[in-house]
Amino acid sequence: MAAYIIRRVVWTVPVVLLVIFMTFTLMKQIEGNPFRKTERAVPAAVQANLERKFNLNKPWYVQYAQYVKGVATGDLGPSLVLRDRTVNDIVEEQFPRSIELGLLAFGWAVLLGVPAGVLAAMRPNSRFDYGSMLFSNVGFALPNFLVATLLIYFVSVKWGMLPTSGWTTWQHKILPSFTLGLVPMAYFARLVRGTMLETLQQDYVRTAKAKGLRRRRVLTVHVLRNSLIPVVTAAAPLLGYIITGSFIVENIFAVPGIGRYYVTAVSARDYSVVMGLTVLLSIIVIAANLVVDILYGILDPRTREART
Amino acid sequence: MSATQIAGRVAGVDAGAPIRQSSLWQDAWRRYLRNRGAVAAGILFLLIVVWCIVVPIVSPHDPNRIEFPDAYQGPSWSHPFGTDQFGRDLFTRAALGGRISIGIGFGATLAILLIGVAYGAISGFVGGKLDNALMRFLDALYGLPYLPFAILALAIIGTVNFWTMVVALSVASWFITARVVRGQIMTLKENDYVRAAYAVGVRWYMILGRHLLPNTLGVLVITIFLELPGVILGEAFLSFLGLGINPPDASWGSMAQDGRDAYRAHPHIIIIPSLAIATLVLCANFIADGLRDALDPRTKET
Amino acid sequence: MRLRFPMLIAAAVVVAVALVAAGCGSGDKKGAAGDGGAKSQVLKMAWGAEPPSLDPGLATDTTSSNVLLNIMDPLVRLGDDLQPVAALAESWDVDGKVVTFHLRDDGRWTNGDPVTAQDFEYSWKRTLDPKLAADYAYQLYGIVGAEAYNNAKPAQAAKLRDKVAVKALDDRTLRVTLTSAQPWFVQQMAHHSFLAVHKPTVEKHGTKWTEPRNIVTNGAFKLAGWKHDASITLVKNADWRNADDVALDRVEGRIIVDGTTRVQAFEAGEVDALDGGGLPPADMARLKQMPEYEKYPALGTYYYGFNLKNIPDVNQRRAMAFAIDRQSIIDNVAQADQIPATGMVPQGMPGFDVIKQDFLPTSADLDKAKEFMAKAEDPKRKITLFHNDAPGHKEVAVAVQAMWKDIGIDVTIKAQEWAQYLEVLGPPPSDAVYVYRLGWIGDYVDPMNFLELWTSKSGNNNTRFASPAYDRLIAQARDTADDHDRYELYRQAEAMLTGPQGEMPISPIYWYTYTNLERESVKDTFNINLLDQFDLSKVVIKEV
Repeated sequence: MAAYIIRRVVWTVPVVLLVIFMTFTLMKQIEGNPFRKTERAVPAAVQANLERKFNLNKPWYVQYAQYVKGVATGDLGPSLVLRDRTVNDIVEEQFPRSIELGLLAFGWAVLLGVPAGVLAAMRPNSRFDYGSMLFSNVGFALPNFLVATLLIYFVSVKWGMLPTSGWTTWQHKILPSFTLGLVPMAYFARLVRGTMLETLQQDYVRTAKAKGLRRRRVLTVHVLRNSLIPVVTAAAPLLGYIITGSFIVENIFAVPGIGRYYVTAVSARDYSVVMGLTVLLSIIVIAANLVVDILYGILDPRTREART
Repeated sequence: MSATQIAGRVAGVDAGAPIRQSSLWQDAWRRYLRNRGAVAAGILFLLIVVWCIVVPIVSPHDPNRIEFPDAYQGPSWSHPFGTDQFGRDLFTRAALGGRISIGIGFGATLAILLIGVAYGAISGFVGGKLDNALMRFLDALYGLPYLPFAILALAIIGTVNFWTMVVALSVASWFITARVVRGQIMTLKENDYVRAAYAVGVRWYMILGRHLLPNTLGVLVITIFLELPGVILGEAFLSFLGLGINPPDASWGSMAQDGRDAYRAHPHIIIIPSLAIATLVLCANFIADGLRDALDPRTKET
Repeated sequence: MRLRFPMLIAAAVVVAVALVAAGCGSGDKKGAAGDGGAKSQVLKMAWGAEPPSLDPGLATDTTSSNVLLNIMDPLVRLGDDLQPVAALAESWDVDGKVVTFHLRDDGRWTNGDPVTAQDFEYSWKRTLDPKLAADYAYQLYGIVGAEAYNNAKPAQAAKLRDKVAVKALDDRTLRVTLTSAQPWFVQQMAHHSFLAVHKPTVEKHGTKWTEPRNIVTNGAFKLAGWKHDASITLVKNADWRNADDVALDRVEGRIIVDGTTRVQAFEAGEVDALDGGGLPPADMARLKQMPEYEKYPALGTYYYGFNLKNIPDVNQRRAMAFAIDRQSIIDNVAQADQIPATGMVPQGMPGFDVIKQDFLPTSADLDKAKEFMAKAEDPKRKITLFHNDAPGHKEVAVAVQAMWKDIGIDVTIKAQEWAQYLEVLGPPPSDAVYVYRLGWIGDYVDPMNFLELWTSKSGNNNTRFASPAYDRLIAQARDTADDHDRYELYRQAEAMLTGPQGEMPISPIYWYTYTNLERESVKDTFNINLLDQFDLSKVVIKEV
């Protein structure tokens, strides 16, 4: 097991370097002048001063080396557009809000998705089963911008129950996190239903039933616990979805996270911010995969064999 | 990763389960027909495709003709979906948008399959150290969100059209397909007839081309319908963020984006393309489920 | 782990119900804060963007500019007629190229220090410092020695710094020497680039001096809070020279970038005014019906430029300019009560009545357009129209595409994102460009700001239009202090662009307006001027 973990950890280093290199190379391919933000032409002297200030006049390999060194020491550099702030400032202030949004979305999924799946599995082919699976399918299919638009219109503008946008009180956080949580919710409902149905067919459950254990106890002790393992390991693939979804949701609900700023930063050619956020998101995904794989290896020894 | 890619994991496709050898496609077809939901989804899907192809040809309305007096009409007999701010017929434009959305969807899905199959086949077939290295990269990149890379790709290309959209949507979305294909090939390689083929000295490319790849076909067909919704939603997301394709062409995503600003006064402009997207995604999910059950009855859910 | 199912589900339901119920509860509270009545002078507003910088030297955008002009005191503000009005400077003398400002004696920084002429000398030279690398350093290039210092190599910087002709003669007298007469220089003081910064604060905190915990300002409001990308809170500066005339106690600003989200926040009663950053064009027809809708004239021109290399025949350019139905674009597409533009210099600019041309039609004149088209030698029938992909431009392009189809021109529209778009435009523009769209919003109140774009060396002339006669006119105007004479020169320049004999390198489409939503309690006192600035010290929340 230790060997597996070590090998797995060691492999993340070249991958992270590759991601940094890829992002860096991609950014260098993008045409455009980060210092010309409006139609106003930038005088040559001003342009030269700015390039000197942000080290853009150095050869690319020097910039790359400086950047990797910066990432290694936790310094993502200054923003080219938000002049009073560094990328670290932006991440420190805005990233926690994105994490909070993601966790709350995840919370909705656990709160509503898991029970829906459990109930559906307990009474397969019942009306509730069909209902929750229909909800799950629709949850997958509806584009989140439509869901967000309808929620804001009815809940906030029409009925005045919750604020339309922003991220200050907990009331502000309900709609964005629910919108973002819809897909994980649908996912959990399906996942839990599927694994529970499978577990119910397992021999040990039948044995337990045969031994005369009460249905409720069989369900709680054996079935649910086993069915929740995939929910834990689903965190990694869901992370990718939540990041993607947050780009849209943060935009519509004016959530001051980093997802919203990413698009702006790319179009403003704020190289250091784009690099910083891409590398950060990638490292998080890579780290999450690592943790999940190791957890999985511990929970289920068979996969360890299969994967090495 | 998209919602439907997640669904793929639920479906157990990437568990590397081999599709049954007998390749009794007729059996599979019969099983598929017994699944009412999947059949209905399939028919609806075909209807949408036919609508997208036929309506612009037979429609009396020029989809790009501007008639300001007709702007923002609600649904009526002559305009079943109403008109947009230029007085253009949305029934026709939605069909045209569908061509582009579905086209981009299939285009990007095929690109994902190509990259995924190449990567997965090489990894699974060559095996050994190379496989190990390629797979460790996949492990690490697994679940990397495609959106940031799609946005970067679009910024590099500069102009957004059909093909740039295909590139942007496939550039960071092939990791799962690669893993699935590799899993298939690894399992198939252990089959007796493949070992036998090796033993009697059949060349590697014959084995790969004749025995291994054709037998991954089932999985690939499922993968098409698993990836398709994710790609279509991805295109809609990019359009929504203002990175959609050039006018006067429109996709469902860019039509919905046009509609959001006007949703208070004219809700049909956002709702119609959004529902079109949702219907297509729903159909594709049901088709994928049906295909999986038909081609791989072992994992059938109750 | 012993989970009980019904309990688990019951818990989930209880929590869900509680969330919704609490949500309902919050709705009742929400109204209360907004309806505080005349007593509470708290303005809730929405800002359209996160200010990229609140350093007057580094700020370049409208949002930063408006925050700055409310927390800092400029030497001069613009009155309703755009004439300079005394602010921190109580008076000024203009003697040819030498301008002398006399500062008030009661200007105070928020830490108690007096605001002095030395502060201005320091600030302007700081903005020109090549090491600060200020984007808008060129706003100060009208001052003798400024451009040379901004352009300096590190070794000569100190020497060139002393040659910049801005000098504090004493604590309250600031003397500036200009490179030419520049009659608009005094009005330029209303631009945020000419604000003063507090030297000890800047030197102590470096790039972090603009954070609320560090910043020292000298205007009507203080920056009490700045949650990045989320909110900006201003509070009344009780020690300000005119604090008695300021009604508002607090301005609670939220940063909402998306236009539709801004409108929703307004309609739900969460904010009382927007910052004029633009309403979504697709929703304009509905918004214009609301009593809270307000529009202001702007100094700005939305135009299509021609690449003269690809459309070399002036008659084809005239034909295309005549085929554009400006009024229809405004009524059906842009929808913000803009004014059809028949020239580069916008209506509302001083001297407009002298300068204006009435050659171009406000609605399409297809007969004339076809006449011109017939006269054109080898007209280009397949052309490409470029626009940037910001909201609204696509719609105008689609409309123009249809209009040009009527004179037999087949238009391909290409949208590009902003940064790449500017690269394609040059100057010189890429050969792929036949027609492009741009807008120009004035920096200061003189037609010069709009007409010097079309000189042959201008970095903003993307048309390849180059006329020595035009360049001479502009150079001459720059040194003509007399308004009447200068306007006459501008008239000739404008005629060379859009007059009957003009080269028509551009086809103006409309002159901008600013549109806004303002609660009726502040509608009378919340006003946006021609340069997109609003003065919160004048806002009073009254009972309605």
